[in-house]
Amino acid sequence: MDTKTKYKEPVNVLVVGVGGQGVIMVSKVLATICQERGYQVKQSEVHGMAKRGGGVFSHVRYGEQVFSPTIPKGSTDVLLALEWAEALRWVNHLKPGEGTFISDTQHIVPPFACRNRKRGAEAGYSRETPDQILSRIKDGFALDATGMARELGNERAANTILLGILSTALEFPEDTWRDVISRFVPPKTVDINLQAFDQGREWARTVHENSDLAARHRRSEKLAPAVPGPDRDEMSDFVQLDINPDWCKSCDICVKMCPERCLKLDDRLKAVLTEPDRCTGCRICEWLCPDFAITVHRTPEAAQAAVRV
Amino acid sequence: MTKTAIKKNAGKASSKNAFDVMSYLRHDLFPHFLCPGCGHGIALRALMWAIHELEIDKDRIAIVSGIGCSGRLGAYIDANTFHTTHGRPLAFAAGLKLARPDLEVIVITGDGDCLAIGGNHLIHACRRNLDITCMMLNNEVYGMTGGQVSPTTSEDRYTTTTPLGNTEAAFDACRLAEAAGAGFVGREVTVQTPTLKNLLKDAIAYNGFSFIEVISDCTEIYGRKNDLGNSPEMILSQKSQMRPNSYGGVIVDEPFRPNALPTGVLSTNARPEYGETYRNAMASAKRKK
Amino acid sequence: MTKATHQQNLQGNHACALAAVAAGCRFYAGYPITPSSEVAERMSLELPRVGGTFVQMEDEIASMGAVLGASMGGIKAMTATSGPGFSLKQENIGYGVMAEVPCVIVNVMRGGPSTGMPTRPAQGDVMQARWGMHGGYQIIVLAPASVSEVYGQTVRAFNLAERLRTPVVVLIDEVIGHLVETVRIPDPGGLDIQQRNWAAVAAGEYQPYAAGDDMVPAMARPGDGYRAHTTGLTHDESGFPTQDPETVERVSRRLLGKFEHHRAQIDQFEELQTRDAEILIVAYGISARAARRAVREARSKGIKAGLFRPITIWPFPQQALTKAAKKAKRILVPEMNAGQIVLEVERVAGRGRVKGINRIDGQAVTPSDILEAIGTGD
Repeated sequence: MDTKTKYKEPVNVLVVGVGGQGVIMVSKVLATICQERGYQVKQSEVHGMAKRGGGVFSHVRYGEQVFSPTIPKGSTDVLLALEWAEALRWVNHLKPGEGTFISDTQHIVPPFACRNRKRGAEAGYSRETPDQILSRIKDGFALDATGMARELGNERAANTILLGILSTALEFPEDTWRDVISRFVPPKTVDINLQAFDQGREWARTVHENSDLAARHRRSEKLAPAVPGPDRDEMSDFVQLDINPDWCKSCDICVKMCPERCLKLDDRLKAVLTEPDRCTGCRICEWLCPDFAITVHRTPEAAQAAVRV
Repeated sequence: MTKTAIKKNAGKASSKNAFDVMSYLRHDLFPHFLCPGCGHGIALRALMWAIHELEIDKDRIAIVSGIGCSGRLGAYIDANTFHTTHGRPLAFAAGLKLARPDLEVIVITGDGDCLAIGGNHLIHACRRNLDITCMMLNNEVYGMTGGQVSPTTSEDRYTTTTPLGNTEAAFDACRLAEAAGAGFVGREVTVQTPTLKNLLKDAIAYNGFSFIEVISDCTEIYGRKNDLGNSPEMILSQKSQMRPNSYGGVIVDEPFRPNALPTGVLSTNARPEYGETYRNAMASAKRKK
Repeated sequence: MTKATHQQNLQGNHACALAAVAAGCRFYAGYPITPSSEVAERMSLELPRVGGTFVQMEDEIASMGAVLGASMGGIKAMTATSGPGFSLKQENIGYGVMAEVPCVIVNVMRGGPSTGMPTRPAQGDVMQARWGMHGGYQIIVLAPASVSEVYGQTVRAFNLAERLRTPVVVLIDEVIGHLVETVRIPDPGGLDIQQRNWAAVAAGEYQPYAAGDDMVPAMARPGDGYRAHTTGLTHDESGFPTQDPETVERVSRRLLGKFEHHRAQIDQFEELQTRDAEILIVAYGISARAARRAVREARSKGIKAGLFRPITIWPFPQQALTKAAKKAKRILVPEMNAGQIVLEVERVAGRGRVKGINRIDGQAVTPSDILEAIGTGD
């Protein structure tokens, strides 16, 4: 491909992800490379909201002359997504029929997607699978970059794997990529990041040679470790509330303090569970019952054993 | 807290056995005698929870309580329980701990029991620093006798003996205990049950005198009289007043939180435990002779 | 009861401390008060030698509380005090009676009421020792009359306390507390020491206040697996509070009745020439020593005088007194108060022939005071 001809129009790379993932860093690496190769670059971004898992995106445009700092809808050459739902949010910004799609398949579920706090409850998160998306895109890559980076020994190197793939879609010399990445990452992690870059680049090459669609979706071999949280081991989908009406003194604490509002006082003013499906087994009613009238059972065995006649 | 001041298996996770409060209570006596919504029951659970997580043998636990609503709690605990005279549980506990250092002595007392009639015992227990844990349930009122003003009743509150509003100032029990030299001083509200449990755990594990003030609620004869709402409202307003010490004291009190209540571990010191000190001194004196 | 091993010049208060240690006391909690402080001072030295614990508490009430606490922990415990402190201790002594906690309270009597005369003797706490607490109860009060008897009666106080599971008061007056006499210290191995009756049944069967034929329930030691409840509230056999009239009647009767049941062991008195006594002197403590001299002098003048000296003054030895007073035309009761035990003597012997000899001037009753009352005609 004649790069000069191609770059008469600016090349548009859209980097997206969730706050804190490194969208800005990735786009800075790219912008620096473009600059060093003698192009005019414009980078504009929206960031913030990181603590709340908000979306972050960055427009990188380069070419001989670039006027607008933002990419018009439908003219993105490469969409680089660090998170799956964000990839889906921006996928229709790709140039129809020719854009390149690169995405990490990891899910970062925002708190507001938790429609029900019961463990195991389905979150309001996209259900489209990488395979479904890839089948609709000419040049797509979906991979568990985070998992791959973890296998390498540093989860933070996931973005560099993605850069490795990006390097096969843009026509910059490999040395420039390696040089700029080495300067941007923390000194102690240079080796591991270059390794990650090679891995991404190598995999993208094999995918290019292989026309099989399935090869474009790479899964990590190791499962992600469980997120540490309170009582994780003890948690179970099976929750049973055992309320002893003989001990309940109708103080109303459990009713008012239940975060799911799933208890109420019955005609006799005794606490009853009215919305068992909403009960998450959080134990707040048990802890705050001054009369020891409520016991929460969170394992099937204990719950069955506690069923009262 | 200094590392050396910690004894036994403090902080040891006991996820092996899930906590079942019923295995620490005397079932036959339930339902207990407390009024609806009384925070004392929540505090009792937190105490049992702390004991469970510290894996202390029930046979080794001695609960000493005084007179009042708080004093009655001991009877519900499946341990060696002593329901003593008004204001004197700390005195009884001192004798018990000195005579039987192998026992884990825990005192349950109330604001009237501990600060009024038993005030002298409190300050001297702090000074003496025997390995006793004192859990003072502060509900700002003499509940058992019908709702009279107590040393911790807030100003302007109505009680049966302050029908025109309380004109006396209230004690800050934690600052009193700290000034008197208590080794470990903390405060927590009942609504923060797991936090309260952790605080009690640290207090019991502390080798010396530890004083924990639990902010409890008396709905029936204090909350209603003062239009403080029912139990849920009372415990939530307590929660809104708390200022956890882990914030580093950076919250500005005035003018937004005039009634801010510092909670968490409020002070510690690393003085030697008195019983050990006494026995060691006596043993070395005997050797010299 | 004993085999003397050595003799020693001892103050009454020191003899009390040594006897306590010999009786197995391993805990002392006290508060300084004249004229009993020497008991605490001696205990602070003696207890560490035998692995015991001495503690000076913040006040009189706390001392009594700590003694009860230690005893509930299974250790023999004691405190000593004087009038004002004895008043302060009353509530907690009542707890000891109700919860049946063995302990010994030594009261070295001084002048009263209130602060009174801290360094002067009196026998003014006799009625307080019997009736000082609220509620109806029985209590054992011992009144030794010499330093050597202080030793013996202190040991006996511990034995009775342990046998009956009850507080026992040793009433000493300031004269005897500070008197130095030659005491025969018995060989500790030769002392008859009562140990507490510890619960031995299976934990599930144990009833903390269920007594057998001897009406004294076995006590649970914390840590032995019984996990009992102890309260000053009226409780049933299980140890938990009750207000059921039938149960309350039953447990209250036992609490009072156990003293009558063990009366033979509790009662102790001394009689001197009472068989034919027409003039009977009833005296205890230091006053009895004056009475002894008065009896001897009266007898030397041909007057048939005799002495009845209760050593256990509460419960009052009424049967023995009735017997001793059979031939008595007059009964004289010398006391260092305005008339306390005389009321009890009147109750037993009838008002007509009983007369008190009372000194309330901070001085001991003298033999001549008694002789004057006998009317030897001099």
